[in-house]
Amino acid sequence: MTFTYAAATPYAGIPRRGPLTRLLEDERWLAVALLLPTVLLLGLFIAYPFVKGVELSVTDAKVGVPGHFVGLQNFAQIWNDGIFHVAVWNTCLYTAVTTVFKLALGLWLALLLNNNFKGKAFTRAFILLPFIIPTVLSTLAWKWMFDPTFSVINYLLFQLGIIHARINWLGDPNLALISVIIVNVWRGVPFYAISLLAGLQTISPELHEAAAIDGARAWQRFRHVTWPLLLPVTLVIVLFSVIQTFADFQLVYVLTGGGPANATQLFATYAYQIGIGTGLLSQGATISLAVFPVLLLVVIVQLLYIRRVETH
Amino acid sequence: MARIDRRRLLKLSGAGTVAASAGGLAGILASGRAPAYAQAATVHWLRWSDFVPASDQLLRNKIVPQCEKDIGIKLNLETVNANDIQARITSAVQSGSGPDIIMVVNNWPRLYEASVADVSDVAEEIGKAQGGYYDIAQTINNVGGKWIGVPWAIGGGLLTNRTSWFAEIGYSEGKFPGTWEEYRAAGKKLKAAGRPFGQTLGHTFGDAPGFWYPYLWSWGGKEVEADGKTVALNSKETIESVKFAVGFWKDCCDEGGLAWDDSSNNRAFLSGTISSTNNGASIYLEAKKKPDAYLTEKGTPLWKDIFHTRLPKGPDGQFALPGPFTDMVMSYSKNQKPAKDFLRWVHSKPVFEQWFTSQQGYTDGATKYWEEDPVWNIDPVLLPFRDLPNVGRLVGYAGPPGRAAAEAVTKYIIVDMYTKAVQGMSAEDAVKWAHEELVKVYA
Amino acid sequence: MIEGAIWRRWVFFYFPLTAFIVALLFPFYWMLVTTVRPDSELYRPWNAPNYTPFWTLHPTLEHVRDLLTETLFGTWMFNTMLISLAATGISLFCGLLAGYALSRLKFPFAGSLGTMIFITYLVPQTLLFIPLADIIRNFKLGDSPWALILTYPTFLIPFCTWLMMGYFKSIPKELEECARIDGATRWRAMVYIIFPIAVPGILSAGIFAFTLSWNEFIYALVFLSSPDQKTVPVGVTSELVRGDVFYWGELMAGALLGSIPVAFVYSFFVEHYVASLTGSVKG
Repeated sequence: MTFTYAAATPYAGIPRRGPLTRLLEDERWLAVALLLPTVLLLGLFIAYPFVKGVELSVTDAKVGVPGHFVGLQNFAQIWNDGIFHVAVWNTCLYTAVTTVFKLALGLWLALLLNNNFKGKAFTRAFILLPFIIPTVLSTLAWKWMFDPTFSVINYLLFQLGIIHARINWLGDPNLALISVIIVNVWRGVPFYAISLLAGLQTISPELHEAAAIDGARAWQRFRHVTWPLLLPVTLVIVLFSVIQTFADFQLVYVLTGGGPANATQLFATYAYQIGIGTGLLSQGATISLAVFPVLLLVVIVQLLYIRRVETH
Repeated sequence: MARIDRRRLLKLSGAGTVAASAGGLAGILASGRAPAYAQAATVHWLRWSDFVPASDQLLRNKIVPQCEKDIGIKLNLETVNANDIQARITSAVQSGSGPDIIMVVNNWPRLYEASVADVSDVAEEIGKAQGGYYDIAQTINNVGGKWIGVPWAIGGGLLTNRTSWFAEIGYSEGKFPGTWEEYRAAGKKLKAAGRPFGQTLGHTFGDAPGFWYPYLWSWGGKEVEADGKTVALNSKETIESVKFAVGFWKDCCDEGGLAWDDSSNNRAFLSGTISSTNNGASIYLEAKKKPDAYLTEKGTPLWKDIFHTRLPKGPDGQFALPGPFTDMVMSYSKNQKPAKDFLRWVHSKPVFEQWFTSQQGYTDGATKYWEEDPVWNIDPVLLPFRDLPNVGRLVGYAGPPGRAAAEAVTKYIIVDMYTKAVQGMSAEDAVKWAHEELVKVYA
Repeated sequence: MIEGAIWRRWVFFYFPLTAFIVALLFPFYWMLVTTVRPDSELYRPWNAPNYTPFWTLHPTLEHVRDLLTETLFGTWMFNTMLISLAATGISLFCGLLAGYALSRLKFPFAGSLGTMIFITYLVPQTLLFIPLADIIRNFKLGDSPWALILTYPTFLIPFCTWLMMGYFKSIPKELEECARIDGATRWRAMVYIIFPIAVPGILSAGIFAFTLSWNEFIYALVFLSSPDQKTVPVGVTSELVRGDVFYWGELMAGALLGSIPVAFVYSFFVEHYVASLTGSVKG
C-alpha cells in the first residue's frame, strides 16, 4: 500500500525502521519526546522555585531566618495594608491604560508599515529600537528628559507656547503616573506594531482586492476583512503584553521609585521594596503572589475568548 | 594578559591618587582586571561604587596588590550600584553563598543580624587602638556585647550653600540662619530672586531621610518612645513640624523636589538653580574636580562659592542623620578567618590612612582617631563634616535602630508624611496616617 | 500603496508615519546629542538662554572613548550577545518542538499541559530570583553565563511556544498526511515539511526572544558577580551610576552602543522574514 511510488518520492525505499523510529511513530510517544526538554527546563527553573515561593508566603521568614508556618496571616496583613491597595489599583490602571494605547497605536503603525515604501526594511527594524534598548538605560534617559530642571520636553512645550510654567512631570502624583504610562507605551508600541504587521502580512491581498471590487471602502475593508483575520494574533499579543505589564518592575523602579508618596507604586515595586529592602521575604512573596489569582482570572477569561474566536 | 595589567597598575599607582583623580573618568574606571595570582587565600569583598571615584581607584590599584604582598590574601573587590546591593545580599544569604565581606550602610546590619559572623574580636581591637568608636557606630553594631559588623566609616549630609547668594541677603562670612524661622525667611528672599532651596521629598534612600528625620527631631517629634515599642509620632510637636514644613516648602523650595532622587539635588545645585540643599560632600567635590565645567553665573568656578553648614536649630535642638558604613562578614562564608585578617589589616593606620585621604573629607572614620587626620587641614570648606558623627541620631529614635526602624525607612513613612501634607492633606491627617503605619510596623 | 490623490497619501500615510518615527526615535536622537556633548554643557537648566537640547557646538568623543577604554564595555557586549544567542537558541528549539506537539498531535492532557506551560509565564521574576539563586548555587552555575542561558528560557519558552502554535495551526493538516502516505515517518514529516513553512514564525519568535534576553536585568544582577562576566545593562549601571553622581555622557553612549547594532542586525532579518512570508502566502 505504501511503497508504490518508489521512484517518484524522496521517502521511498526505506524498508526498515529502527525501534526508535517506530516508537516515535506513535503520536503519544512523539509528544513526550518533543515536550521533554520544555517540561524539564520549566519544571526545574520555574515550578520548583514557584513552590518555594508559595512556601515563603505562608511562613514568617525573613532574610536568613527560616521562619515558621503561619498560614494565611501574611495575606490577612496585606489585605489591611493601605499601600498595598494603592499598589494594586495603580497596577490595574497602569495595565489597562497602557494596553489600550499600545494596541491602538501599534495597530495604526502596523497598518502604515504594511505598505511598500522606500527604506521599509530599515524603518521596520529601527522602529524596534525602543523595545531593544535595555529598559534600565532608556528609562534613565527618560528620567533626564522629565527632570524638572532639565526637561527637554518642558523646553519644547514652552517654546511652542503651550505652557508658561514648567510641568512637574515626576513630582505631581497624577502626572507621575501619566509619565510612567508614556514611557511604557513608548516602549511597547514597536512590539505591538511588528507583531501585528506579521499578522497583517499573512492576510492575502486577494481578499482585499475582492472586497474592493465589491465596492467596500477602506474603513469597511478594515472592519470586515482585516480585523477578523487579525483577531487571533491580536488576542495572543494582548494577552502576553497584559501579563508582562502587570509584572512591570524596572521602569517604575528607575523612573520614580514608586513615589511621590506611592503615587506610582506598582505591586512588583512594592513587593521588591518590602522583600528586598526590608528583608521581610515572606511578605514580599505574599505581595508577589497575592495578585496571582486576579491575573489568572484575567488570563483565563482571555484564553476562553481566544478559543471561542478560533473555533469560529 | 597578566603582564599588561601589572604594567598598567604600576603606572597608575605611581601617578598617585590625586593625579589620577584629576584625570576624570579615565583614571576613575581603571578597570577591575585583577592580576591572575594563584594559591593565596581569596576574600571576596562587595562594596558600593564609591561616591568618590578616586577611592575606588585607590582600592583597585594600590590596596589589592598591597594586600597580597603584606598578608598574602588575594582580594576580589566587586563594586555595584548602591541600589542593587540589597538584592545581592538577599540572594547570597538565601542561597548560602556569595561575597565573604559585604559593605552596607545605615542600620542594615540589624536587618541581616541572623546571617553574619561574630566579629567582636576584630572590632574591639580596632576600637581600642584608635580611640574608641563613635556612639552611633557602637549602637548599630554592638548588640548586647556582640559585634555584628566592623564599622568602616561614617558619612552624612550637611547643608551645601552658595556663598555669594547668601551674602547678598545679608549672611556673609560665617553667618548663617540659625533657626528654622530665619532659614525660611532667607529662603523666601532667595526663592523670590529665582534661587530657591532644594530638598527632595521623593522615594530615595539617602537624601530624603537625611533631611526629614533630623527635621522631625529638631521639633521634638519622634517615632517611638525609649522602650522601642510604643509609637509616639502623633504628638503636638510633630504636627507643628508638619505645618511649618508645608509653609517652608511653598515659600522656599523648588517644588520639583517631589520628584527628585539622590542625584537630582546635585544636578540642580551644580547647574545653579538652587541655593541650598542638604547633601554629602559630593556636590562640592564634583565641582572641585571639574572647575571648568561648573561655573557660577558670573563665570567663576562654582567650587569657590560653596560653604557647608549644619541644619538649622528647631525648638528641640539641632540634629543630623549620619550614614554609617559597615563591613559584615557573612556567616555562610568559608573564608571567615582570612576575611577577619583582611579587615584587621585594612583598618590598620597606614593602610586605612590612604583610603581616608582619598576621600578628601567626604566621610569620617568610624573611630575618633581620624578626627586628627591631616586631611581635615587641607580644605576648610569640608571641615564641618568632621564633627558629624558627634551630633547624629539614628532612625527609630527614641528606640533602637533595629529592624522595625529600617522597615519604616524603607516604606518612607516619615518622608511620605511630609509629602502628603505638602500635597494638600491636613497636618493632623498626615500625622495620623503616618502614626498608624508606624503602629503596623512596630506591631 | 494608498490609492487616490497625492494629498491623501500625505495625510494618511507620510504624515502619520513620520510622526510615529519622530515620537519613537526622538529619545535616541537626544541620547546621541548627550553622548557627544561635553560635560560643561550638560548641566544647563531648560530655561537658561543657552539651552540647546538638539545640538551642541562642541561635540566630543571623549564619553564614547571613556566608555570603551575605561570600562569593560566590549566584554559586556560579548557576554550579552553570547547569552542572548544561546538562550534564544534553546528557547526556539524547545518552543518549536513543544508548539508542534501541542498543536498538531493528539495525546492525553494536551490542553492542560499547554495551559500549564502558559501559567508559568505568570510567575514574576522578582519573586523567582530568590529560590532560583539556591538552585544556581546547587548546580554550581553561579557567576557563569550558564546561569543565565538556562534561566532565561523560563520566560522565553512560553511565548515562543504559543507563537509557534499559532503558526502551526494555520498550516493545513493534509501536508503531513500526504508525506506520511508517501512513506515518511512522523519525525521526518515534521522536520522536513512543516518546519520550513514555519520559518517566518521562527524568525519573529527569535527576534523577540533575543530582545527579551538582551534586556533582562535582575537575574543578570544576582547571578553574576565578576566584572568580566556581567552583561551590558548590569555593567553599565554598576560602573557609571555612582551614588548620587551619574556619568551621563558615558551612560548614554552605553545605551546607544547597546542597542543600535542589534537594530542593524534585525534590519537584515526583517527583509528575509517578510519575503518568506509573502512567498508562503502566494505559494
